[in-house]
Amino acid sequence: MERRKFLGLGLAAIALVPAGLSAKDFRADKPTAWKAKTVDDAIKALYGDIKAEESGLSIKVPKIASNGGAIPVGMKSDVQLKSLALFQDSNPEAAVAVFTIPADVKKVNYMTKIKMAKTGSITLVGEGTDGKFYKVNKSLQVALGGCEG
Amino acid sequence: MANMKIKAKVKGDTLKCKIQAKHDMITYNIAKKKGVDANFITYMTGKIGDRIVFEASTSQFLSKNPIIKFEAPSAGIKKGDELTMYWKDLSGKEVTEAKKIKGVK
Repeated sequence: MERRKFLGLGLAAIALVPAGLSAKDFRADKPTAWKAKTVDDAIKALYGDIKAEESGLSIKVPKIASNGGAIPVGMKSDVQLKSLALFQDSNPEAAVAVFTIPADVKKVNYMTKIKMAKTGSITLVGEGTDGKFYKVNKSLQVALGGCEG
Repeated sequence: MANMKIKAKVKGDTLKCKIQAKHDMITYNIAKKKGVDANFITYMTGKIGDRIVFEASTSQFLSKNPIIKFEAPSAGIKKGDELTMYWKDLSGKEVTEAKKIKGVK
């Protein structure tokens, strides 16, 4: 199937799902997003061709991560979101995680630990309940890569 | 508590949760080097009763034994309620564990 068509189908499917219904596995829904090599491709595969505002979200990471195997990433939003996606550009694939935000969560405050193979940047993209997209990008140094095992 | 550590506490109008899943999170790169199958957590939910408080689809790039912290509104949580965490990995293994929420008056 052509990618464009596939994306179109995906969007149609989302439109049909009632807003209140949660429990959505993005891996099953958007398999292409997880194989995308670059952040831009992954965002496209996940949300389509979007224009994101550079506001509303914030990332908290250490400037220099001594251990690339477990980098704490804090994620916060000032806006209400439907979903939140975390990407980075130093591993073979870009996508790290996609969070579905429950409707009663007004401001997101999440933290997780991720692996990064080398120095790079982390991108956070949020899909607002108002239909807008928000984005923030932050770069950090990784002293010791985390994907070598 | 073999597969997960769960901490859930109500503070004011917020429910604060900290989860650590015991999982090796083997990426495709490591799997190739060691000659084992890649395996990592792909999907995770947190529920209180029927209400979903946390939901994430994840990839191989979460750290080994990944830690996740999240917050949700505490409205509607009663004394004795439990936070039920569930995850599924690439091999199809599913784990569900529950822990009582602390700090509810």
